[in-house]
Amino acid sequence: MQLFMQQLVNGVVLGATYGLVALGYTMVYGIVQLINFAHGEIFMLGGFGALFTYTVLLPSGTPVVLALILMLLGGMAVSVTAAVIMERFAYRPLRGAPRLAPLITALGVSIFLQELVRNFYPAKSPRPFPQLIPPDYLINLGGGVTINAPKLVTVIAAVVGMVALSTFVRSSRTGRAMQATAQDPDTARLMGIDTDRIIVTAFVLGASLAAVSGLSNGLQFGTVDPRMGALTGVKAFTAAVLGGIGNISGAVLGGFLLGIVEVMATQYAPSPLSGGAWANAWGFVVLILVLVFRPNGLLGERVAARA
Amino acid sequence: MSRDLSPKSLLGVAGAVATAVACFLPWSLYAGFPGKMLNTGFPGGARMYVLLLALAAGAVLLLDPPGRVRGLRAASVWALVISLLTALLIGYAGGGLGNVAAGAWIAVAGSAALTASAYLLDASSDRDRRVWSLPDADWRMPAEIVITLAMAGLALYVFVVGLGIPTSNVASGPDHTFRDAISLNDVTNGSEFLAFLFGIIGLFLVAGRIGLTASLGAITQRRRPALVTGATLAAIAFPFTQDGSPYALRIAASIGVFAAAAVGLNVVVGLAGLLDLGYIAFFGVGAYFAAIYSGSTTSPIHVHLPFFLVIVLGALVAAVFGFVLGAPTLRLRGDYLAIVTLGFGEIFRISVNNLDGQSGPSLTNGPNGISNIPDLGLPGGFSFGDNHHLFGVPLPFQANYFFLEIVLVAAVMVAFLRLSDSRIGRAWVAIREDELAAAATGINTTRLKLLAFGLGATLAGAAGTVDAHVVKVAAPDSFTFIESTLLLAAVILGGMGTVPGALLGASVVYLLPEQLRFLHDLRLLVFGLVLILMMRLRPEGLVPSKRRQREFRERDDKSGALDPPPGAHA
Repeated sequence: MQLFMQQLVNGVVLGATYGLVALGYTMVYGIVQLINFAHGEIFMLGGFGALFTYTVLLPSGTPVVLALILMLLGGMAVSVTAAVIMERFAYRPLRGAPRLAPLITALGVSIFLQELVRNFYPAKSPRPFPQLIPPDYLINLGGGVTINAPKLVTVIAAVVGMVALSTFVRSSRTGRAMQATAQDPDTARLMGIDTDRIIVTAFVLGASLAAVSGLSNGLQFGTVDPRMGALTGVKAFTAAVLGGIGNISGAVLGGFLLGIVEVMATQYAPSPLSGGAWANAWGFVVLILVLVFRPNGLLGERVAARA
Repeated sequence: MSRDLSPKSLLGVAGAVATAVACFLPWSLYAGFPGKMLNTGFPGGARMYVLLLALAAGAVLLLDPPGRVRGLRAASVWALVISLLTALLIGYAGGGLGNVAAGAWIAVAGSAALTASAYLLDASSDRDRRVWSLPDADWRMPAEIVITLAMAGLALYVFVVGLGIPTSNVASGPDHTFRDAISLNDVTNGSEFLAFLFGIIGLFLVAGRIGLTASLGAITQRRRPALVTGATLAAIAFPFTQDGSPYALRIAASIGVFAAAAVGLNVVVGLAGLLDLGYIAFFGVGAYFAAIYSGSTTSPIHVHLPFFLVIVLGALVAAVFGFVLGAPTLRLRGDYLAIVTLGFGEIFRISVNNLDGQSGPSLTNGPNGISNIPDLGLPGGFSFGDNHHLFGVPLPFQANYFFLEIVLVAAVMVAFLRLSDSRIGRAWVAIREDELAAAATGINTTRLKLLAFGLGATLAGAAGTVDAHVVKVAAPDSFTFIESTLLLAAVILGGMGTVPGALLGASVVYLLPEQLRFLHDLRLLVFGLVLILMMRLRPEGLVPSKRRQREFRERDDKSGALDPPPGAHA
């Protein structure tokens, strides 16, 4: 039972990483129906931005909490800058192009960003990430189940991000403009909404959350790697679809489900299909099963109200 | 034809003449620079492409076709880029600008004058491009056939030249290293290929802007039998241009497999509009099937089936996978289908990685894959592993596989064309354009989508069985998500729903990273950039289907209009 609970916690943590990145996919998809495959690279850039802030900008001896906050800001700055440039120069010129053209652009951007970091960020890959919080600094959740601080922060960030984003989209003026743009961009523009600005806002929000995930990923695993965005990106997109793409709560829910399934399958799937080697396959099996029975994803019925 | 003798035009003419003349003068005093840059007389290396661009610019200036100024801009800018880049690299490789001969500077000055003239002239005075046709006379049909055949010949020539340009270890300049990822030496080594690439881009843009591309496209479309004959002849002639060298043939054979798979994917994506991100898995099913039953020593099943049976069975097994995956998932909306296929692709890769007897049943030999796949043989003792001599030209054994590829690509193309012209093909296009409307007109959308998916899988499976024998190994690394996306990139770059598009796209997507190897680690970076730029400059693809092209033009008016997937608001 203790093992089960511990694995559940691990799954939730893994899922929170997916969920944070999935929010970016779901926001952008909800508004422009674009699968932004480069979003995984935005997550990766967040990790590298944080690392750069720590190793280059911060004087040694900065208090840990201050350092973490500044690293987060640094990571966000890099992610957001990249996302805005990407939107402006790669995607915006393609509005109105055939639907698959932006997909290839996204692929190009993804390769480009990956290679840019791999070639021009100094030091060998994978780059060691500072262990600001000792990995053995564990918080006891009772019954011998533990979680370490960065993981706990990731889970909290995912839930807070989800709630804040939902509230923002539902209640704020910009959020309502987002809903309008998602439903009908032409009419939204007629109503005086600056749709270009709304779309950029979606990219910016998504990139900020991905940067949180990138930092926490670095803290958890102790390394960042230019290639780490690719798999996380695919997983996060899977999570977004699992929850019902375009749906904010769905993205995080899908992330949690995917994370839990992967961790549980690693532990409990019948041999020889258990173990890390098959974990990714189980995630996709669950995705296919969910979509067969709920073709719009778990929370997909609210398509009209998507962000 | 109006004669524009304004000073701006005359500046351009003078620039074009100066540039063209400069191409017949030596550009380099340093003998080690790649490409023939030393002689006075017929130009070699980068000079050839500058000359072609200068001639194109001069012709556009004087003949005054529609799109004159915009065409001139394309030609002049690319001529300037090539000549300036070459001059600077000669200076670098030779160890000082003193090594740059006068010819290079004249070319730079000439193309700069040309560029100045192009941007001083007013582009808004351009007449709209139109499709030319030959006068309606007796000789029109033969002339069109000759033009079509010449186009096929030209395509072969460009392909041979592009593949034949050496891109490594040509120059031996000073050993400066930059970030140890790439040095200017490497760029120097690749400069002739870069000049070739820029030259092609420039000429392609000029042809597009003055309406030549559209006109030639219309002619070749009208003369389809001639086009098919020409393309086949060009493909068959290719191994004879290689002088016995296996390098280009190996690449060409790989392009063939890739192209066959791209045409198959075109059925799924281009015709039926189903976004398949795991297509390589069906290809992999075929490849693994062929590898396992090839009699290879590393295969756990020691059965050697005849190859013709393997093609059929491999295609059938892939088809079964296609139908089993498609049946429950094809009622999903477009992008949901995309992620399901992506998931299937990953499941396939992970499975073949693990079916090694330890983490799963022993079937695929795990991460090492099944290697040492024996050469194919034909009844009668012909082995694909033998070198041959034909018409006095040495043909390395890779040529055998290349010819097999031609047969495969031809078969897949015929299948594609017959399908797209059929009732089924029209139904697919209807589903692609608007699924609801298609269903309303009585099309059984689910069944037809399943058919497209299954047929796509079948074609991929067949291509996979051949691929296993061409590369002689089937390993999980060859069937990753990236491979699927590259195939998709080939289809979309080439132009969705057309066969020449898929072939061209496959060549570009495969050849470019191959010939950009001189950039070392930066080649993928450049490739990513190329994908972005190509989609920005030509989102409908290089050879779009007519319907697509019209559709795209219409959308131009609604600038910024979003394009929701069919059924998105349902």
